[in-house]
Amino acid sequence: MGNEFVGDKPRRYITQNSELITIFIMATVKINGKEITVEDGTLILDAARQAGFEIPTFCYQARLSRLGSCRMCLVEIAGQKKLQPSCVTPVLHGMEIFTQNETVKTARASMLEFLLANHPLDCPTCDKGGECELQDLTFKYGPRQSPFAERKRRFHEKDEILSPVIVKNHNRCIHCERCVRICDEAVGAKALGGIGRGAMLKETSFLNKELDCDHCGNCIEVCPVGSFMSLPYRYKSRPWDLVETDTVCPFCATGCQLTIGTRNGSVLRVRSKIETGINKETLCARGRFGYDFIQSEKRLTKPMAKKNGRLTECSWEEAISQAKNKLSSAKKIAGIASARLTNEELYLFQKLMRNVFRTNNIDSGSRWTDKRTTDALINACNLSEGGTSIFEALKADLIFIIGSSISDENPITDYLIRTTAADKRKNLILAYPRRIKLDSSATISLKHTPGSEDIVISGILNALQNQAVKTDGSQVSESDIATIAQRMKTASTISIFLGTDSLRFANGKEMLLGIANLAKALKASGKNIKVMPLLDRCNQRGAWDMGVHPSFLPGYKKTNSDGMDCTGILEASSKGEMDAIYIIGEDIVSMYPDAKFAKEALSKAGFIIVQDMFLTETAKMADIVLPGASYAEKEGTWTNQEGRLQRLRRALQPIKAAREDLSILSSIGGFEYKSARDVFEEIRKEAPGYQDISFDSLNNTGVLVKGHGAEKQGSRGQGVKGSSETKINPSNPRTLEPSNPYLDDYPFLLITGNHLFHSGRLSQKADVLKRLLPESFVEISDKDAAALGIKEGDRVIVKGKHHEAVLRVRVKQGSLKGTAFIPENFEDVPVNCFFKKGEGIPRVKISKQ
Amino acid sequence: MNLLKKIFFIDFIKGLSLTFKYNVSRTITMRYPDEEKWLPYQRFRGLHTLNRDSQGRELCVACELCAKVCPTQCITVIPMEDVGTDLKSVPRGISDRIAKVYEINLVRCLFCGFCEDACPTTAIRMGRDYELACFTLDCAIADKKKLLTPRDIPAEFEGGFVVKAKFIRNDEGIKVKPDLSKKKRWW
Ligand code: SF4
Ligand code: SF4
Ligand code: SF4
Ligand code: SF4
Ligand code: SF4
Ligand code: FES
Repeated sequence: MGNEFVGDKPRRYITQNSELITIFIMATVKINGKEITVEDGTLILDAARQAGFEIPTFCYQARLSRLGSCRMCLVEIAGQKKLQPSCVTPVLHGMEIFTQNETVKTARASMLEFLLANHPLDCPTCDKGGECELQDLTFKYGPRQSPFAERKRRFHEKDEILSPVIVKNHNRCIHCERCVRICDEAVGAKALGGIGRGAMLKETSFLNKELDCDHCGNCIEVCPVGSFMSLPYRYKSRPWDLVETDTVCPFCATGCQLTIGTRNGSVLRVRSKIETGINKETLCARGRFGYDFIQSEKRLTKPMAKKNGRLTECSWEEAISQAKNKLSSAKKIAGIASARLTNEELYLFQKLMRNVFRTNNIDSGSRWTDKRTTDALINACNLSEGGTSIFEALKADLIFIIGSSISDENPITDYLIRTTAADKRKNLILAYPRRIKLDSSATISLKHTPGSEDIVISGILNALQNQAVKTDGSQVSESDIATIAQRMKTASTISIFLGTDSLRFANGKEMLLGIANLAKALKASGKNIKVMPLLDRCNQRGAWDMGVHPSFLPGYKKTNSDGMDCTGILEASSKGEMDAIYIIGEDIVSMYPDAKFAKEALSKAGFIIVQDMFLTETAKMADIVLPGASYAEKEGTWTNQEGRLQRLRRALQPIKAAREDLSILSSIGGFEYKSARDVFEEIRKEAPGYQDISFDSLNNTGVLVKGHGAEKQGSRGQGVKGSSETKINPSNPRTLEPSNPYLDDYPFLLITGNHLFHSGRLSQKADVLKRLLPESFVEISDKDAAALGIKEGDRVIVKGKHHEAVLRVRVKQGSLKGTAFIPENFEDVPVNCFFKKGEGIPRVKISKQ
Repeated sequence: MNLLKKIFFIDFIKGLSLTFKYNVSRTITMRYPDEEKWLPYQRFRGLHTLNRDSQGRELCVACELCAKVCPTQCITVIPMEDVGTDLKSVPRGISDRIAKVYEINLVRCLFCGFCEDACPTTAIRMGRDYELACFTLDCAIADKKKLLTPRDIPAEFEGGFVVKAKFIRNDEGIKVKPDLSKKKRWW
């Protein structure tokens, strides 16, 4: 070969003596006369792009599998008679390649001519016009004329509506199959396929029927032409009319980058940009189509104050001064802020509560019960030690995900993991009671009894330490646990992803302690371990970083005296001890797992101030309601679950008289911050992890937050003290022994969480998302359905000890027997009514109506 | 000779004869706007019209190309889907994409005719109306309804002459209504 360098990618050869040798090879090729050395096996396309030559493509996309069907990327290789598609041909050492000579140019023009021969060219009515790859490439490389006079292929006159968000025009399809591949390889929905052959090939849904898929719209985004189109954006505008603003998705803590397009002050669409952000052009349904809540009719537009028992509109001055007076005169006060606010707002919120109103009674979120559990999560995931890139985490040999319905809660994290797990050398282990989409990519998927995560984890821990494994009460086989332990032993890098079920279930603390111990044990055996949280609120991690927590200040510094968490606040309030509660963006009545208790508690509070976008159940109980702003209406930063700080940018001014939450907080506290940037400067001083980050240089990739350097032990709250023991006791009192489910009074364990199309109650205000799934449902396993004689779509009565609801059934094949799932998002089915504080996971009975 | 010319006022008579000739020849003063009006040639670039096809459907598909090409950006087009089209009723436009808003700001328009050139469906044409004065700025915005209203001078009508006309002044402004049948040679 003559020219061998050391590269990164190993090549393994077997010599004549059957020895395995590994060498790293680089190849030197000449492209248009320019020499370039690349790793052996690089595609000609990539090599040419590296060398600075442009090659047009349609079917090639870096993240998708190679197809080589469109032939736009043809290049000439010296010595080969036929032109070769550069997107599937690797370089060979010594190759001489031409990418812009006459032959290649003619070939490109002819390929375009072939594509256009059957293309309707109805650009004037095509929504893609102006951002169409076919238009662009035709202008750049096209023949500009066509002798083709035959009739064009025509499938239909009217576009086909495939779903409430997707409309399809088959006539315009150029068969690049990007849609099919993205749906398959990233989304995992496998909803699309080709029907027919040759020119009559149609990329569409199964049997060309209405799609019952994830409605993520990624097929729309990747389609280079106007074949897949968005229905909500249909005929609304031209791309050049839109003012586009890059910002971050508010619906989960994956932190996808998205681009909001507005025209004359109204939001017309959300799209994603290729190779941008961690999501790299993909989004899920709520990110892409859940934007219409921003300009919903139901938004609060004016402050309101309670007069004679009724909320009536009032002026900002009146509302602010009343709020200020009440908060400063009250003896005992508390504050709960949503983990959807920006870091700046959260920082200011805790500063206001701590420095101005002198209380540590602050918390973020109200879906969870116990601050010691959140402490345990913060500890298990080492949140105070800075961010971990998900791409680093995904390089691990073994990925273990527990306690998360990841495909629903964090869809893009699910896509990233699916793409990574396509590499069969990786182990993907999932532990979640229901069957979820990612199960199809998993090497092992455990279906354990909800709430028995600690048993599973301590089982693995015991197996790792060659001790007896007991899995009673978890419905998981001991052999599965042994296999997992075995795989963990052989893996050298392991990433553990921890879902929010750990914060939802009563035994969450034990589970989190278990994870911390498991990580410790694995680390001790010389493995590289990363533990990452999978969070459901976009800025949950930021909220903790900013010290919106009863026992941490910004940067996880310990407070002098612990305040009360959400449960503590409600308990105090129910005793009539709370004089004033300040709630921002959190709908406690709908979300706290015991609706009755939360409502009663709040009704006994002295004075309630609610700052929100909508008149939520909690806001209805307030004495003062302050209209806040949506994510599209503010500047600031969010820290996603990885610890990646990303910048939100303002696309619109707050609706009518609503105000940015930052300015409301400033007026109440009398602070003089001019912008989010000013507050961020202060955060840099207070939270050491943010010290080196400059607000203005935050781009679409974001920056990983560094460690905060808070002292490790003793700073984590009491619950974690016991973590020095390596064993936990798996023989907790179990109320969840697998008894005969059909004889018990309440045979089902009810689990809840976000549905794929929803995130908390916020997305309920997005009409497009409501159209995707108009009503709530209860999901049970196929075995239970068969035993009860229930079919998909039947109406059943779900009866718990404290609440009952009539719902449609969804049957999920492969879910664990004896578990029922109801999404927590629907306003008309408040699942938190099934819960009773202190009772743990609720049990329900399901019967035919 | 010179003396004779002087005695008989020859130059004076010559001059006067020209005056008298014009006195009896056909008058060339166009009594615009009271009685007559100049009808421009077909190629004239006056107030735009939005056109319909032979079945009465709007030709404009709201592609926004006219708005894009306009050098003064005086055209606003907001498209929408014509969901009302079913097979029974006559659809509003030639496609299910029609203009929800179509506005031309005549104060900014410089009558270059680019929009006409850009239009893929010949929906927008420059018409022959040139009396655009009005009392408020609002009426300088030509909306879709106004642009779709058929004009006094149809596109097929050949121009390049003066016709009898009537001067109308009302609250909306002034207008000179031509009577196309009363064609008069100008000059
Ligand atoms: S897909 Fe592109 S080329 Fe085809 S009609 Fe639409 S805009 Fe025109
Ligand atoms: S919307 Fe998403 S899941 Fe549905 S077909 Fe398109 S890519 Fe597949
Ligand atoms: S629908 Fe679009 S993405 Fe799918 S094959 Fe056709 S052109 Fe390609
Ligand atoms: S909800 Fe989560 S996964 Fe979906 S687009 Fe938003 S950030 Fe991404
Ligand atoms: S007038 Fe012509 S160019 Fe303008 S939007 Fe209508 S169809 Fe397009
Ligand atoms: S891009 Fe290479 S064949 Fe399509």
